[in-house]
Amino acid sequence: MRKPTNNVSIKRNHQVDMGQVQNMTKQSSRRKAIKTLAATTALVATASSLPLFGRYSQAEASEPIKIGFQVHRTGIGAAYGRWYDRATKAAVKKINDEGGINGRKVEIIAEDDGTDPKRGAEVVEKMATQHGCDIAFGTLFSHVVIGSAPRAGELKIPYFVVSEGHHVASGMLNRYTLQPGITDVKSQVQAMAPFVSSSLGKKVTMIYPDFAFGHDHRDYFSAAIEAQGGQVVAKIAIPPTESSFTKYFPKIPRNTDVIYHVMVGPAVLTFVKEMGEFFGNSRPEIFGFIDSLEAVDLASPGLEFLEGTYFWEGNPRYAQANQSVYDKDYRTAVGVDANGASLSDSKDVSTYAHMFGCWETLHIVKAGMEASGYSGPKDRAKLIEAVEAMTLMPHSHAHPQGAKEFNGRTHQVFGHQYITKVTNSKLVLAHTTSISDTYYPDEVDYTKQPF
Amino acid sequence: MSVVGITTPTKAFSHATGQSFIALLPTGPYIALGVLIVALSLMLVWFLPSQVPYKLFKKINLIEFRINSSTQEISSFISFLFVVWGIQTGLNGTRDPLENPLTLGFWVAFWMAAPMIQGYLFNLWGWISPWQWAVKPLTILLSRPWLKLPDQAGILPAVAILLMFSAFTLADPAPDDPARLASVLTVYMTMTFSGMVVFGPERWLERVEFFSVMMVQLKRLAVFAQRGDKLCAGWLGWQFKDNIKIFRGISIFILVLLGTGSFDGLNETFFWFDQIGVNPLDFPGRSAVVIPVVIGLLSANLILIGLFIIMITIGNRLASGHLNTTTLLNAFAPTVLPIALAYHTAHYLPSLLVEGQYVLLALNDPLGNGFNLLGLDGFYVTTGFFNHRETVRLIWLSQAFVITLGHVISVILAHLESVRIYGDSVRAVYAGLPVAIFMVLYTWLGLWLLAAPKIS
Repeated sequence: MRKPTNNVSIKRNHQVDMGQVQNMTKQSSRRKAIKTLAATTALVATASSLPLFGRYSQAEASEPIKIGFQVHRTGIGAAYGRWYDRATKAAVKKINDEGGINGRKVEIIAEDDGTDPKRGAEVVEKMATQHGCDIAFGTLFSHVVIGSAPRAGELKIPYFVVSEGHHVASGMLNRYTLQPGITDVKSQVQAMAPFVSSSLGKKVTMIYPDFAFGHDHRDYFSAAIEAQGGQVVAKIAIPPTESSFTKYFPKIPRNTDVIYHVMVGPAVLTFVKEMGEFFGNSRPEIFGFIDSLEAVDLASPGLEFLEGTYFWEGNPRYAQANQSVYDKDYRTAVGVDANGASLSDSKDVSTYAHMFGCWETLHIVKAGMEASGYSGPKDRAKLIEAVEAMTLMPHSHAHPQGAKEFNGRTHQVFGHQYITKVTNSKLVLAHTTSISDTYYPDEVDYTKQPF
Repeated sequence: MSVVGITTPTKAFSHATGQSFIALLPTGPYIALGVLIVALSLMLVWFLPSQVPYKLFKKINLIEFRINSSTQEISSFISFLFVVWGIQTGLNGTRDPLENPLTLGFWVAFWMAAPMIQGYLFNLWGWISPWQWAVKPLTILLSRPWLKLPDQAGILPAVAILLMFSAFTLADPAPDDPARLASVLTVYMTMTFSGMVVFGPERWLERVEFFSVMMVQLKRLAVFAQRGDKLCAGWLGWQFKDNIKIFRGISIFILVLLGTGSFDGLNETFFWFDQIGVNPLDFPGRSAVVIPVVIGLLSANLILIGLFIIMITIGNRLASGHLNTTTLLNAFAPTVLPIALAYHTAHYLPSLLVEGQYVLLALNDPLGNGFNLLGLDGFYVTTGFFNHRETVRLIWLSQAFVITLGHVISVILAHLESVRIYGDSVRAVYAGLPVAIFMVLYTWLGLWLLAAPKIS
């Protein structure tokens, strides 16, 4: 299941002028690059000229860096939480094996938030006040992020989320909340439009669940496809508790080139099966978000109909022909095979499209703590400034999903998106978007907010 | 006792994909078949000579077997020490509920698994009760209780505590938070020992301590038991009438076990979320639905008890009987125990498959210092069996089998009770008819709950 989004903010500024985006992006990239270079240089200079690394005492140095991991162990996010836990543990092992952060070991303190916003705020508070955590990290579901971030802000504890929600970049949160390890849904959805319109067709019918999560897709994609000269010819909203879909398929206009679907929940396989029965052998192109089938084996009976259709993937589940050494090593570390399944059970398919965000975020925390000479909670503001100063993140062992560019003002990272095609029941890479495909104008500048 | 779902502690692992595959299974015909089997069993016991069902529950002597009661007391004391250690790790150990020994030990090993062993196999509680060891010393020390539990109250205090525990299980926002669970158990342990001291150890355990009350009831169904110096066995339910003390209110306790289990199953279905106006795909978390869940829990139990009383009263009229409600309840309510146990088993089977792995990992390295006692180092917990149609089908059919079997046994026990209190087979059929219909419909409900879309 996909993270349901609570979207008061997500709908803000969703009408995007693509030309404006490109201009702004170019300018902002240059500005950012210069600013970041200066800031990073200053930080590095500070770190080396002042005795920063010697500033914390031996006692502090022997204390681990405590990272509060707000994990969905129970509740509707638990299936994702299990894999976020694996990616997190693997990243921490790697970081510790390589000497830790500023010479200190990293310790994860996992607290279950029950995928519950109120509980989320409570565990963030526990991390800050009881466990002495340096930061809080790892939240996936948007409503938990939105419920927890205000408390993180009040307690002045950096809160690194891995949620994909647009709530960070929309400006609804605060300076203590950052999303540097995974792109947001707004950029993901709009980045699909160029490929869909140029390779699959210009007339799109959208089928989506009728609540905030589906509405985001509807709004972001409609705007983006129109900017590409395409058109959404029908918007078919499905009630969230629907269990059969046959009555909706006749609503798909005959002139539809592409169906864009983002169904989630326990009826998703029924949706695919009934769509297959409806179209038989003559179907339009079909494009979906892997969230619908995250952790589902595509070779499952009933999914044959998906052969030849396309999916967005945050990170390709199947090792591709051009697999990087970074992806290969990342898979080994997390315990995942070339099909994206667990090494302990080839039927246990991972949430591969999302969980890299935990791995990458922890590497950014490490980079930020090292750049700022972080020695304890008193340096939390410096840590945030150091992360805000980051820009380009090259494809590397720290960033196995691909290169990224961080926007310090919006606290949101931008990166490549992958479109894969179901080929012989595997997802084979068909297109990689550019990072610039994912840009949109800034909606906030958190750096102007006081700490 | 409960049935399926994320709304139970440490559950949540029944993957959404498992639900997707269930939606593709021909659950309609499966449900019909289950209901038909229960209905046919019912007719069979009606029309077979009345001694046949009794023969079914005949006991078989297996081997010479004697347990020294002090062995069980030592075991009980070790269990007590485990609980104390567990509470300590709940307060001070890892915060992760899937790694903390208290959460795993209490919710998975004890609450999920122990009732199944108790109900299907043997009297495990005799070995693991953390209180039984204190009964003898306290009885010797306190020649008579300081205060007397009012006889009028019967077992109703245990009913009240069972409901409170169920509310903690189903409605509390974080029952598997290790520290929260440790606090609750500390309060309960303190209350239990205090109650044993003040009101007398045996009375407290028989009438107030709800785990003991529940386990004593489940023991009535187990296949194996010691009789004299022999280990005996028999079909599930053979011990049903043996050595059972009847306390006022025990029938209500048993019905609440079933009602709570049934509501737990309903509590996570899309149907339920529709009733309380929550979008299950955008579930706002347990803390947002505390009140509806508590109201649902209480209502479900009231409805079940009310319906049951109506059924047995109608049956009594049909048989032209003059038995009062208490007599009828005491006869018929215990016969739903196999259904309650079946709901519990079916509900927790998927959880046990996943969380049992976390228990094994914890046992592999119990002190967290790198031991590899079971050779599981490097093993990752898997939920792969929820990702494939055939394994999902196998799990679902196992659950359905358990539900159906539970109802079949209940139907037979209810008929035997009916024969016992009404004396002849024809009146027994009339008197038992409404309860029998109730049980057939309950089979449908149980199987429907298994098949219904839910957010687990």
